[in-house]
Amino acid sequence: MDKIKIALAGNPNVGKSTLFNRLTGMRQHVGNWPGKTVEKKEGTFQYNHHEIEVVDLPGNYSLTAYSVEEVVSRDYIVGEKPDVIVNIIDAANLERNLYLTVQMMELGANLVLALNMNKFAREKGLKINKNELSELLGVPVIEIEAVDKTGSDELLKTIVKVSKSPNVVLDRLEYGNEVSEHMEQIEKIIDQDIPQLDAPSSWIALKLMEDDPEIIKKIEETGKGQRVLKEVKKIQRHFNDVFGDDADAAITDARYGFIAGLVSESVKKPKIDKVTRSDLIDRIVTHKYLGIPIFLLIMWFTFQITFTVGDPLGGYIEEGFAWLGETLAASMGEGFLTSFIVDGIIGGVGGVLVFVPLIFILFLILSILEDSGYLARAAFVMDRFMHKLVGLHGKSFIPMILGFGCAVPGIMATRTLENEKDRLLTMLIVPFMSCSARLPVYALIVAAFFSAYQGWVIFSLYLLGIVVAIIVAAIFKKTIFKGMSAPFVMELPPYRIPTVKGAIIHMWERGVLFLKKAGTIILALSVVIWALSSLPVGVEYGSQESVTGQIGTVLSPIFEPLGFGEWQATVAIIYGFLAKEVVVSTFGTLYGIGGDGGGGEASADEAPAETEEETAPEEDPGFIAVMQELFTPLSAYAYMVFVLLYIPCLATLAAIRRETNSWKWPTFAAVYTFVVAYVVSFVIYQGGLILGF
Amino acid sequence: MMSLAMATENDNLRIVQVWHGGKFKKKLSEMGIYKDSRIKVIKNDIPGPLIVDVKGSRLIIGRGQAQKIMVEGYQNG
Repeated sequence: MDKIKIALAGNPNVGKSTLFNRLTGMRQHVGNWPGKTVEKKEGTFQYNHHEIEVVDLPGNYSLTAYSVEEVVSRDYIVGEKPDVIVNIIDAANLERNLYLTVQMMELGANLVLALNMNKFAREKGLKINKNELSELLGVPVIEIEAVDKTGSDELLKTIVKVSKSPNVVLDRLEYGNEVSEHMEQIEKIIDQDIPQLDAPSSWIALKLMEDDPEIIKKIEETGKGQRVLKEVKKIQRHFNDVFGDDADAAITDARYGFIAGLVSESVKKPKIDKVTRSDLIDRIVTHKYLGIPIFLLIMWFTFQITFTVGDPLGGYIEEGFAWLGETLAASMGEGFLTSFIVDGIIGGVGGVLVFVPLIFILFLILSILEDSGYLARAAFVMDRFMHKLVGLHGKSFIPMILGFGCAVPGIMATRTLENEKDRLLTMLIVPFMSCSARLPVYALIVAAFFSAYQGWVIFSLYLLGIVVAIIVAAIFKKTIFKGMSAPFVMELPPYRIPTVKGAIIHMWERGVLFLKKAGTIILALSVVIWALSSLPVGVEYGSQESVTGQIGTVLSPIFEPLGFGEWQATVAIIYGFLAKEVVVSTFGTLYGIGGDGGGGEASADEAPAETEEETAPEEDPGFIAVMQELFTPLSAYAYMVFVLLYIPCLATLAAIRRETNSWKWPTFAAVYTFVVAYVVSFVIYQGGLILGF
Repeated sequence: MMSLAMATENDNLRIVQVWHGGKFKKKLSEMGIYKDSRIKVIKNDIPGPLIVDVKGSRLIIGRGQAQKIMVEGYQNG
């Protein structure tokens, strides 16, 4: 069986992922491009005794050196030399899409054009003569529908054929006299001075004229580029003098000129633009006054569905782990190993896995919203607020919304922000959005102290999180992330009905990252915490004599000014770093509250604490009594505020580490959130005392 | 000649000048907004970003960015 290596390329929102998923099914691998935070998707499939290896190149508009995605794509085309590149094109948007096509032709890529979304193009009244287009470009043009089987077989057949006899298309491009002439001049010098480059010299010439920093660097590195670079400078000056515009702009013009020629020959457009269904929906969804209520309603439904469906499923997982812990404890008897497995591993990892259903469902709904095109509208609608309040643009709002579910996907979603500063800033404020893991902590404390105003107290915490995020963002924007906000331009894709397969694959890809984390970092940390709670040998698990207890005792004076100087409260905060909801189970463990409802020491000896906590301590009158001894209503509120704001959980820090590829930012996030939490809690507690609460 | 931010909905416009620098100018041109290209304003609610039609696709442009794009009207046809 022979192997064919293909790559999928195209603008964002053209159905590239849909085609990739259709071709490879679940036989795909998602990783990162080496050394980059750009996602790399690979997969294989078989067709007619050919094994076809597919790489999904990141979606982009161009092949310049200005974004990581573009560099990754073009390095792949130049370096890996795939046999065939399938360029997926939104037929309804042919002209703009061909801009990328032209640039791949410049690179000498062996192309097949796959025209997607032809139905939509017809709806718009466009008639594309694909034979004419193919003739003009010198590459095969196939009509497909990525969502179903239309054109699939023809596409595959063409891929195999083209892999055997590559198209030569370099000579098809026309840039007009002025550009071509200068290009040839540079080309000639390149061929004489540095003939051994691995990309076509005409492409190098174009890139040099465009001032492409990467290519200039490469030419400089050969040590033989002085003559070329000098000539390029001269030509650039000439363009500036003669046209009053740089060579870069002239080349862009030339490309669009070439494309306009192609389109006028091969496409019939309607005289009057038809109003599409997408436009009609947008009149309501992006409406000046209706836009925001609609957005809020959709978000409300998202959380409703997530919690209604996800919570019971999480409950089953919780029960499952509790049962597993009990069974193991019963069969293994009491001892060091049992405690290690039950308290350490099952308690730690299980506590985090409880959130898997919530996270998967949230991802599924968000994938559907994203695939349908709604999230782009949300960015549009929220832009004016974000701009005024924080100085970030609307796109930053999407990660923040995700943060209400879980900060980890929120941080991953910052990938859609092009500006590095905006991206970092968004990552740093996402953890202030009160995530689902913090809810059980509130529930516990609110039941003990604020039963009359439950809803309002919890609502105030959510609000506080948002307010703190806005204030912090505004401060950072003026200090460490000083400078202009990224200019805002993004495509508004037409609405589409998301495919089930696409949405599920989307959900899976993101969810699996979370599972992996639970299996590695969280597992490791669980073991550490367990060890600290069990040592020195012989102490009761998690008691004041254990290392944890001692640490808690030593550190607790720090929290005295905030109103919760008890060592137990400190220990719960330390454990909450693993996952915020662990604060709840820690209180359960430390106070030995169990199913017998009596409290006291006895129950702690009977079975490991993790199995007891399912009796919902917040409903346990004994537990409430203990809590009321420990906290006053004021200090309890200060404690909740602290839990809301302090150091993001381990999974979140790991996500920040992964996304920024450095330890600097997660460390910074941990330190500054601690300071913010401390200050805000301090103000609330001391202020409350002065006011006489 | 006026800035894009001042255009009214359904205006057919030609880009006269893009007062943006290097990187963003390049990005705009890749998305179809460059000197002499033609666009149509779909939405312009003040405040807030604009939606324009560029070669059949819809782009969101921040208001601040639109202020630096100079346009003039032309008759469709």
